Amino acid sequence: MASVVSAKNLGLTFSTNDGDVIALSDVNLEIGTGEFVSFIGPSGCGKTTFLRVIADLEQPTSGRITVNGTSPGDARLNRAYGYVFQAPALYPWRTIEQNVALPLEIMGLSDRAARIKRTLELVNLAGFEKKYPWQLSGGMQQRASIARALSFDADLLLMDEPFGALDEIVRDHLNSELLKLWARTKKTIAFVTHSIPEAVYLSTKIVVMSPRPGRVTDIIESDLPAERPLDIRETPEFLRLAARVRDGLRAGHSYEE
Amino acid sequence: MRQLVDGKNLPILIVLATIVVVWYAAAIMMNAPWQQTLDQRAGLENVPFTQFAVSTWSQDKPVLPSAHQVIGEIWTATIGTDIASKRSLAYHAGITLSATLLGFALGTLLGIGLAVVIVHNDASDRSLMPWIIASQTIPILAIAPMVVVGLGAVGVTGLLPKALISMYLSFFPVVVGMVKGLRTPEAIQLDLMRTYSASPWQVFSKLRWPSAIPFLFASMKVGIAISLIGAVVGELSNNAGGGLGVRLLTGSYNGQTVQIWAALFIAAGLAAMLVIAVGAAEAMANRRMGARA
Repeated sequence: MASVVSAKNLGLTFSTNDGDVIALSDVNLEIGTGEFVSFIGPSGCGKTTFLRVIADLEQPTSGRITVNGTSPGDARLNRAYGYVFQAPALYPWRTIEQNVALPLEIMGLSDRAARIKRTLELVNLAGFEKKYPWQLSGGMQQRASIARALSFDADLLLMDEPFGALDEIVRDHLNSELLKLWARTKKTIAFVTHSIPEAVYLSTKIVVMSPRPGRVTDIIESDLPAERPLDIRETPEFLRLAARVRDGLRAGHSYEE
Repeated sequence: MRQLVDGKNLPILIVLATIVVVWYAAAIMMNAPWQQTLDQRAGLENVPFTQFAVSTWSQDKPVLPSAHQVIGEIWTATIGTDIASKRSLAYHAGITLSATLLGFALGTLLGIGLAVVIVHNDASDRSLMPWIIASQTIPILAIAPMVVVGLGAVGVTGLLPKALISMYLSFFPVVVGMVKGLRTPEAIQLDLMRTYSASPWQVFSKLRWPSAIPFLFASMKVGIAISLIGAVVGELSNNAGGGLGVRLLTGSYNGQTVQIWAALFIAAGLAAMLVIAVGAAEAMANRRMGARA
């Protein structure tokens, strides 16, 4: 299994007016091709920061990281990844299909119509091409933003708490859709969340992180089957994994004030 | 009748009626001393109030002309006069309108240009903004004659000097509005552009500019109204060129209050039309940008 992301002794310290904040310290991690890796931990544990380092939106202050064997900056220039933010960040003056077309326009890619059609079908938004974002529900808007990240066929998908603002019912639905999408597209996905069930349900690998300083406390390989109906969450295997995640969080003092 | 009570028409009519009543009452009071002198000279005594009031509303050079006098003057000076004649208010309004539009176009372009520079360059933000604000603290009445006379001395006359004064006033709201507007995109939207490795031009044309459009129209509504003021003030300094400002000036030299008021009303009507035109353009842009109906 080839390595898509490889971090060695990675550290990142923000200098603020109140002194230095260690967002990441001594992170070692490999993400292999086709893996679904979740990052879980309380706020301040550096999970989003790590995702932003992969995306070249933040610069590490120590250690080494490669994306597709190159630096994150080169990977970004090679358009190696699609990024899904916490909010849909759709442009309100563009229709859904125009929003999905945005990266295609910027990257100068051809056969836009076919790409838009295919990715909107992937996220079950066919028929909503001409709608404006405000005409869609929050869950549909986030699906549109996933379509936008998929439209230019990057092999790596970085998702930063994409369903964090949605209610649990919509979230369950989108989680199972995301798994189907992952199975069909064979992409590598790095997924930030603060929900234990979400992390266990989705992932092949769960990275447990803890704050002050932000660090990795446990890396759990999931032995759940690839086929995961929603009620797998009541099985003993699932609950055992969830308990281990919780133990990892507790070991990192994540439950203390 | 129902429609009148339910809709917005009734309050509008009440306000309008109040203005008319106050206007005519004020005309009686302000024109009364001169009317009394006139009546004395004519040897009239014990003039009934209704006759006295009607006389105050139809003086030749009243302190406050009545509404029908002003409307009558507007009518005869526009519809009733050949448009090529220098007595035609429509002719003068046309001169003012062209200076306004040219100045507004120049001011809007200058404002947008300055805003783009300021947003993209931190140093120019700190170096330019104080001067831009200072420029607006100088009374335009002091600057206008210098611009008109100064440019006249180097042979630039006609429309351009007046348009430059309009520009001087109208670029300001556009700079302030567009600096704000071009900075509205949130961090997350700018990050998104970075993940695509978008060029600065792409970030500008696909994100900053569309985000700033609502601010542009709000600024242009203010800008077009003060453009008209700029043009009129410019005309005050150069009464050979014509325009509503010249009509105001000659009216005040000759005590022609009816002429002054007629020119004022035309100027106000012109400003209203221009603001409405910008509003219509805004509505069109909103529809094209998918605004909520």
